[in-house]
Amino acid sequence: MLVADFEVARREFSVRVHLQVPTGERLALLGRSGAGKTTTVEAIAGLLRLSGGEIRLGDRQLSSARHPAADLPPGQRGVGLLRQNPGLFPHLTVLQNIGYAPGVSPAAARAAGERLGLGALLGARPRGLSGGEAQRVSLARALQTRVDLLCLDEPFNSLDRPLGLELLGLLRRELEESGTSAILVTHRLEDAQAFAQRLAVLHRGEILQVGDPRELVLRPSSRKVAELVGYQGWLSGGAQTMAVHPDRVHPVGAGEGGEISARVLGMTPRGARIELELEAEGRWRGRFRCRSDRSAAIGERMWFAAPGAPIFPTPDPGGGALSDR
Amino acid sequence: MRGAGVRVSTGAALVGALIVWIALLGPLITLLAHLTPASVWNALTQPGALQPLVTSVTASLVALAVILLLGTPLAYLMARGRLPFPRVWEAGVILPLLTPPLVIGLLLIFMVGPETPIGAALSHLNLSATNTFLALVVAEIYESVPFYVLGAMAAFATVDPALEQAAALLGDNRLRTWRRVTMPLAAPGLANALAVTWARAMGAFGAVLIIAYHPFGLPMQIWVTLQETGLASALPYALVLLVVALPLPVAAYIWSARARRRL
Repeated sequence: MLVADFEVARREFSVRVHLQVPTGERLALLGRSGAGKTTTVEAIAGLLRLSGGEIRLGDRQLSSARHPAADLPPGQRGVGLLRQNPGLFPHLTVLQNIGYAPGVSPAAARAAGERLGLGALLGARPRGLSGGEAQRVSLARALQTRVDLLCLDEPFNSLDRPLGLELLGLLRRELEESGTSAILVTHRLEDAQAFAQRLAVLHRGEILQVGDPRELVLRPSSRKVAELVGYQGWLSGGAQTMAVHPDRVHPVGAGEGGEISARVLGMTPRGARIELELEAEGRWRGRFRCRSDRSAAIGERMWFAAPGAPIFPTPDPGGGALSDR
Repeated sequence: MRGAGVRVSTGAALVGALIVWIALLGPLITLLAHLTPASVWNALTQPGALQPLVTSVTASLVALAVILLLGTPLAYLMARGRLPFPRVWEAGVILPLLTPPLVIGLLLIFMVGPETPIGAALSHLNLSATNTFLALVVAEIYESVPFYVLGAMAAFATVDPALEQAAALLGDNRLRTWRRVTMPLAAPGLANALAVTWARAMGAFGAVLIIAYHPFGLPMQIWVTLQETGLASALPYALVLLVVALPLPVAAYIWSARARRRL
């Protein structure tokens, strides 16, 4: 199990992390750019020094702010790191890249490359590879390194979405097979939900909430968490504010229990559905969005139901308590 | 009209480039024009004629080894910004480049001459840093070391630190990372730096004239022959110096250009 309880000083704010990842678990660290996600995994991987606390993996101490001289170097921590930049060695072939880590036999590297669909490229140099192929090589190389924890710093973000999701699925299966723990850093909720068993939301260096990926979206503990997991509408109702998620609000007929009365301001196609831009008037006031199966007319008045929408006190001090309706 | 204008300017640029190229190669062309195979053979078969060549090659090899050994880690640390007060270190490396070689020679006399503490210490070891093989090596090092350190710095700067980090994460310690990633990637640039340094060491003259008149290296041989028997007698030695000093830089240049294309 990884037990990370540390602080890393940064220019604008310190990243303070209290995190436990049981063996074999896949955790996603969700947050916006600059929230401290990369700092967190780089500290765990041993690329940054701690300004406080310590990091342990199993019975080994990886880093400690008290005895930094005893910090284990990156290659001896049992922690791998896969980044957006595949970091392939340009002077080595694909096969040599995959088998780079000490102790990896050429046969094992070849098998790993073939398993990831790189059989025809094993003799090629990285220079001629496409972005997807380069990430596959990087992935094969990371999986060949015997690690107890693999950190993934938005590794597939520069690839197109279907390819990125395919590689994420591939990685998930490989991790499941080997029973290796993983931390995925991402700013995309859908990636986090597709990959992880548990989700931690990070904002300005603090973990705001940790929980089941779906449960966390249904029950955000604060307005900030709600914002980070996709709530876009904030309807004011006096001392309370209702957080509205575009997927968790739906139109209902008059008299069918809708609590939000709203006027249609605009419409945008969103995949197979239509996203309505709405202005709520009545008990709840403010703008929100709703992904609906049916189209509407601009200016049309409609009723909406948002069952289970979280309510926060107004004004929210930044960490308001959740009260379910 | 516009196409014709482009053609004219491209033609003018080519002519200009050709003039510069011929001007740069002019001295070499002149040298070859003034030599006959008989005059070269005659000069090189004189008794003791090859000794300066042997002296120069040996001293330059020793100087190169010292520069490589001490200059490479220095260049790496400077390129990675791992030294405190980086500008001070840079100034120290550039200073010998900016100082006229004659002045370097004079200052070396005041630094390692027989009357100095270093000179005294050397004499305890039965060594002397004036008019000896050691003096020649020291003078060559001072004249050529900046070319290597600056070139090697540029070579290391082209190696992406993220690749070194990747190697470390895959289990390499610093030495293995250096051997398996840093050096192979910096090698083309290092080869170029080494080749230029070799040419500079072989041709070192100003500081050598002051501190290592003896033993005669090739540049000194050219100078003395020029003084004693005139231009025509000195030219064969000039050719020998070029023949010995140039192949390594040319080979290194060709190899590094090919190696870069592979990366």
